[in-house]
Amino acid sequence: MAGISVGGHGGKRAVNQELPLIPFIDFLLCLVSFLLITAVWTQMSRINADARVPGPPDPDREIEEQKKDRTLHVEMRGDEKFQLVWKEGNTVINTIDVPRKQVQTGGDEYGYPDLATKITEEWGRDGSHRAESDLKRDQAVLHTDNTTTFEDIIAVIDAVYSPQRDIKLGNAVEQIPAFNLTFAVN
Amino acid sequence: MSSGKALSRFHQPISVAGRRLLKGVPLKFVAKKVSGGGAKSVNHDIPLIPFIDFLLCIVLFLLASFSASGELPVDKNVQLPSADNVDDMTMAPMVAITGQMILVNGSPAGTTRAVTEANRLQKLDELYNVLKTTREVWKQINPGKEFPGVAVLQVDKKVPAVIVKSVFQTAAQAGYPNISFMVKNRGGGKKKK
Repeated sequence: MAGISVGGHGGKRAVNQELPLIPFIDFLLCLVSFLLITAVWTQMSRINADARVPGPPDPDREIEEQKKDRTLHVEMRGDEKFQLVWKEGNTVINTIDVPRKQVQTGGDEYGYPDLATKITEEWGRDGSHRAESDLKRDQAVLHTDNTTTFEDIIAVIDAVYSPQRDIKLGNAVEQIPAFNLTFAVN
Repeated sequence: MSSGKALSRFHQPISVAGRRLLKGVPLKFVAKKVSGGGAKSVNHDIPLIPFIDFLLCIVLFLLASFSASGELPVDKNVQLPSADNVDDMTMAPMVAITGQMILVNGSPAGTTRAVTEANRLQKLDELYNVLKTTREVWKQINPGKEFPGVAVLQVDKKVPAVIVKSVFQTAAQAGYPNISFMVKNRGGGKKKK
């Protein structure tokens, strides 16, 4: 058992005091058991999509004053390529083709890094909402056919969310995806 | 006690110091063993201080990796896709698509058969009713609070888009416009500065 010398004067009280180590060890073992039971060994996360088009309203501006924002439409219907289409309302501003090249990310999982790079470039050039104080995000619309697998959809959504920007929430600055994504209904 | 010296208490009032405990056991080999037998001491101190240090290290590691947000169970038949640009999980109704079954918080809420057969986007009535009820219950429990409208979809990676979009649209119509897809974190995530 561990002891501690606390000094002392002239034979009145015992100068060596025993620390109660056994209750301390019991407490630590209880703590370890609790933490092991509640430990999270698999990291599940979520990737967001929003059915509100064109995104949540901008709280800083009057609704009447808000002009139509540019929207990035991501077409993933073809087998050979993705098509990125910038639209303002129904007017097509720009169309960009990106080769549909899957890159393995480990196991049987894959991603589209070329698409992610192109979307990041496009947002850097034509994105509307960049300021830290701007709470609104640029809108992306995903067009898929009915047979596309969910895995493929997530790979494309992941690429759409790759451009990130800073946003100021109170005193904290947080990184969020530059785009808010929704699905095309047709 | 050495046998060469006559040190009985009849001859000498004060005994010589030495081991006496358990010496009276008649069997010699037992007496030798239990009294230490001149070999190693049978009493041994457990090294408590390194043990406490070890426990403290474990506690610190577990505390550092502790997550108060908890973890939602994933059906073993559902294989989730992975993504880099993800958010932390949130408390919200969980809509799981396992095979043809749709579950809301583990309770059945219809099937995807109608969508698969028609192969076109359509509203799933049973899911719509369950989600709407869940929303109304939330509003009754939290009067005066704004409904967050968040739902989490737990979908197998091989499920076709027509089902995902039908569930997405049904959830939006039922008052859950903010949908999240449950994925495995590949290592990215939201960063705070």
